[in-house]
Amino acid sequence: MELFTPGFGLVFWMFVSFAVLFLILWKYAWPVILKTVDDRAELIDKGVEYAQNAKESLDNAQQQADRIIADARIKEGDILRDAETLKTQIVEQAREEARKEGQKELDAAKLAIQQARKDARQSIRDEVSEFAIKIAEKVLRGEMSDQKAQAKLVNNLLDEIENQN
Amino acid sequence: MKKLFVILILLVLAACAALGFSDAMSDSASGGTEVKIDPKEIIFEHLGDAYGWELPFAHHRRIPLPIILFGSDGLHCFSSARVAHGHQYKDGDVTFVVPAEGEYKGKCVEIRPDGSVYKPWDISITKNVLALFITILVVLACCFFLVRWYRRNGFKAPRGMLGFMELIVVFIYDGVVKSTLGHNARRFAPYLLTVFMFIFFMNLLGLVVIFPGGANLTGNIAVTMTLAILTFLVTNIFGTKHYWKDIFWPDVPLWLKFPLPIMPMIELFGIFTKPAALTVRLFANMMGGHMIVIVLTLLIFIFTAVGGIMMGGTTAVVSILFSIFMLLIDVLVSFIQAYVFTMLSTIFISLAQEGSEHEHEKHAEHTALPTDK
Repeated sequence: MELFTPGFGLVFWMFVSFAVLFLILWKYAWPVILKTVDDRAELIDKGVEYAQNAKESLDNAQQQADRIIADARIKEGDILRDAETLKTQIVEQAREEARKEGQKELDAAKLAIQQARKDARQSIRDEVSEFAIKIAEKVLRGEMSDQKAQAKLVNNLLDEIENQN
Repeated sequence: MKKLFVILILLVLAACAALGFSDAMSDSASGGTEVKIDPKEIIFEHLGDAYGWELPFAHHRRIPLPIILFGSDGLHCFSSARVAHGHQYKDGDVTFVVPAEGEYKGKCVEIRPDGSVYKPWDISITKNVLALFITILVVLACCFFLVRWYRRNGFKAPRGMLGFMELIVVFIYDGVVKSTLGHNARRFAPYLLTVFMFIFFMNLLGLVVIFPGGANLTGNIAVTMTLAILTFLVTNIFGTKHYWKDIFWPDVPLWLKFPLPIMPMIELFGIFTKPAALTVRLFANMMGGHMIVIVLTLLIFIFTAVGGIMMGGTTAVVSILFSIFMLLIDVLVSFIQAYVFTMLSTIFISLAQEGSEHEHEKHAEHTALPTDK
């Protein structure tokens, strides 16, 4: 049957044209196509890897940032608390100091008042004793106008001193 | 809904065509000449080769193609129109004719002056050869459009038709060649990809019913046999030492190979059954597809001749629906057969590359350099 017997002409042309097609494609087409496809696959792989790394580092950065922010929050709290304590401390200290200062002033004032009072008392006493001496002088001058009375007084006084000793 | 309407109109038209045929038949019958349908003749004419390429809707008007013959007295080259319809063409001493009957039916033969018939070496550009050339141009165009795209656009992925081209190239290269051949992929990929593209486009062009297509190329045993022989040559020429040792001295008990070489004979036989399997598989599948469509179409005329207009019209509707279905299936088969041929070729080649990995590894160890690229 004709259908099952290969015709010589067709086999001949088939070899020739396949050889031509193969040589042309082998030389000019397949290397370019396969290389481009392979290179592109590589490029895409690299791109994906790069993107993954980028995403990872971005995630890391995000985490780091979060951590830093959390740390900062904690520190902020600490600092605020410290500041609060310090504030109270300072206020307390200031109050204490003020109290002490006041006390000191008060003491000084008291001392001064005491001194003043002492001085005043002294001066009053001095004046009073001066007045008393003057009065006594005057009295004595009046009384000691006669000799007798003078002698008597000296005796009395001597006695007194004697008794005292 | 709209689509359904269009399909309905097409079916009515098909039925009308059958009516027209029936009318023409009764006309010619009344005119005295009997129109007889010879289904076998029509089927084999469509499946086989021809010196001309028929135009659509005009069965007897053909595009003349050059006939090239190495006759007993040298090279002859003339248009097929000169020997069409049983005409004789006298070139020098000899006469050429395409006999309608006998041993050389449909083949151009040489009649010598003494009346003896001589079958010359025929390398005419027949319908199938021209279809072959067209296919090659189409494949080259597709591949070089893709190459041009790459040269212009670098790594940008092509769109549309070129995207499809790239898709099938990558599908075959990654899915079949690389996964089967491994490190040898680059070496054999050009051959295998060329084979795939070639068969695929031949199959598809064969499904186009009018001029640039329609030749039953992959359903022709000459074409599939040539491709199978090429695979056979590639397989055996590039076969490794290990492959040949496995054939002539396989690892079987000694009594199976000595003194009577049973296994070597079986293995040797296997070398030749592989290309035979390749030949017949592609040939039978593609020819079967074409045949079914032709037979379905012929059914319309047979039933019209037998059962009249009504029966013919009904058959037309059914036949056309089935033909469309079969052609759609054939599109799928076109791809599958090209794929199967490429896959089997790859497997045969990879079987003959057995043992080359070890050499490759050794080689790589020695040089400690990337050998590929």
